[in-house]
Amino acid sequence: MSSISLRDIRKSYANGPRVLHGVDLDIGDGEFVVIVGPSGCGKSTLLRLIAGLERCEDGEIVIDGRRANELPPQDRNIAMIFQNYALYPHMSVLENIAFGLELRKVPRKTREARAREVAETLQLTPYLDRKPGALSGGQRQRVAMGRAMARDTSTFLMDEPLSNLDNALRNTMRTEIKTIHQQLGATIVFVTHDQTEALSLADRIAVMKDGHLQQFDTPAAIYDRPVNRFVASFLGTPKMNFAPSDAITGWTGRRGVEVGLRPDTLRLHRERPGAASIEARLTLTEMTGSEVVLHCQTQSGVMSAIAHRGQELPAPGDRIWLEYDAAAAHLFDMQSGARV
Amino acid sequence: MTREKSARALWLINGLTLLAAIIFLSPVLYSIWMSFQTSDAYYAGGVDFTLRNYEVAVGQYNFARYLLNSVIVSGIVTLLGLSFATMAAFAFARFEFRGGNLMFGAVVATLMIPSHITLIPNYLTLARAGMLDSYAGLILPAISSGFAAFFLRQYIRGIPRALDEAAYMDGATPSKVLWRVIVPISKPAIFSMGLQLFIAEWNNYIWPLVAISESDLFTLQIGLARLYRVNPGEDVIDWPLVMAASTITILPVLLGFVLVERHLVRGITMGAVK
Ligand SMILES: Nc1ncnc2c1ncn2[C@@H]1O[C@H](COP(=O)(O)OP(=O)(O)O)[C@@H](O)[C@H]1O
Ligand SMILES: [Mg+2]
Repeated sequence: MSSISLRDIRKSYANGPRVLHGVDLDIGDGEFVVIVGPSGCGKSTLLRLIAGLERCEDGEIVIDGRRANELPPQDRNIAMIFQNYALYPHMSVLENIAFGLELRKVPRKTREARAREVAETLQLTPYLDRKPGALSGGQRQRVAMGRAMARDTSTFLMDEPLSNLDNALRNTMRTEIKTIHQQLGATIVFVTHDQTEALSLADRIAVMKDGHLQQFDTPAAIYDRPVNRFVASFLGTPKMNFAPSDAITGWTGRRGVEVGLRPDTLRLHRERPGAASIEARLTLTEMTGSEVVLHCQTQSGVMSAIAHRGQELPAPGDRIWLEYDAAAAHLFDMQSGARV
Repeated sequence: MTREKSARALWLINGLTLLAAIIFLSPVLYSIWMSFQTSDAYYAGGVDFTLRNYEVAVGQYNFARYLLNSVIVSGIVTLLGLSFATMAAFAFARFEFRGGNLMFGAVVATLMIPSHITLIPNYLTLARAGMLDSYAGLILPAISSGFAAFFLRQYIRGIPRALDEAAYMDGATPSKVLWRVIVPISKPAIFSMGLQLFIAEWNNYIWPLVAISESDLFTLQIGLARLYRVNPGEDVIDWPLVMAASTITILPVLLGFVLVERHLVRGITMGAVK
């Protein structure tokens, strides 16, 4: 069992401004929660509070139903993967992985067997005797994973563990983490600033901004029903298009609001369609693989849309029409940005 | 620089290094050579190889005992001094506590106090405690080195704090973090500090002179100094004997240096983070 509840967590650093302004979060047993938000919004701080690496003086941290504010990190039985890995430079890969078990007085034979087993799943067996200094970035990242996995715990905290990897490795490790989560049934709190990572990994996503929790829900719910303009624009690539309702041609929906249209809901036409549409001029196209992102200039500002490669594509400079579905549009308050 | 030029520069550097080595080593080698001469041959300008000077130094003047005393005192001072300095350094480098800055300031301030100023207070304190003429009297005043604490604290501050944090997450207590993570990583600094403490104590002359009157507790330096006054009536000093005693005094230090030298390598923090 490993559940984590945060109640009205506030945090300021010594002589600094407040970085968390009352965060509430309930993380269930076995849940994969991703905390996402722009750099500096307080994600790491929140994770370090759960870990016990920062003192929590305001608010309450409850782990497995027990108040944990005063519990030092070594007594919380939580494994953590650091963004810069923080491997012990004087220990071999094997010792790095087994150290947590050694500290808990697991006999040498048992802990080394366990470490070897973990190393095997992470394909680290050939490097067991090396020091971290003699490993590549990807290998170090896997040692950091191994160190956490070898531990006898069911709670893992990960602070942007993939951000130092190249793209191919990042995708592999992402799958790896997801697999581990399913196999171990562990509770994972994963911090990232990468919305793609968040959408693909999470059972639930916590979106943060400037020390405030914006929304905490499933990826689908957050994507389909963002609570405000910030969340809507933060998740999904290409970004959601925004325009005031008055600036949208043929708008029949509610007036006086900010309209958000996901690029993948816009349909491309070469001729003016019968349905409501926005006239646009194509400025450039961007291939992403199976799809092409169209960047357009419209009378209500810059917008993007998605076309499939099978389609016959317009050329930059061409006049096009983007058909929208008012029912699929997201509406936000002009001032507060809240969903209406 | 062309290859030829850099090759020539290398020769020049090697040559200068060799020259410097000769200049520094020659008195040492000469005194070792002298210690194996009879004094008659030495003063007559001849060559007559003998081990007698060593026999006299050890047998008649008790140098084996002085050597033992020096090893015990310097060894214990080094071990205790390093332990205290390391723990203090860890505390100052990693923990915020009330009065911490003030205490660290006090530690740094001790660096500015000449050791001669503390001589008499130390003497009076130990006299009152009845510790003069004992190993404790030799050891206690030397085991708190402000410089060692300061030096190691600076070194520890250079170690990424994330390593401590990783160890805490792995279940380590602060003392485990110190002994299993910080100390092994600080090995180069600790060894070089240890070498300094050892040599400083080995060469310490004034304090043993003041604190010890019992000849069984003399250290090498005291024994050595007394050799000059062994035959006050005669106007010649038995230099080969003095050199034999000096050799007994320096050899252990040289040996010790050779043993720890390989630990004084560059730091091993590489590869810890990123
Ligand atoms: N140890 C610290 N002392 C003072 N300010 C800090 C410290 N750590 C982080 N901060 C500040 O707190 C804010 C949140 O930081 P952080 O939690 O690291 O954000 P994130 O992980 O989302 O990028 C930032 O403005 C950062 O500058
Ligand atoms: Mg961060």
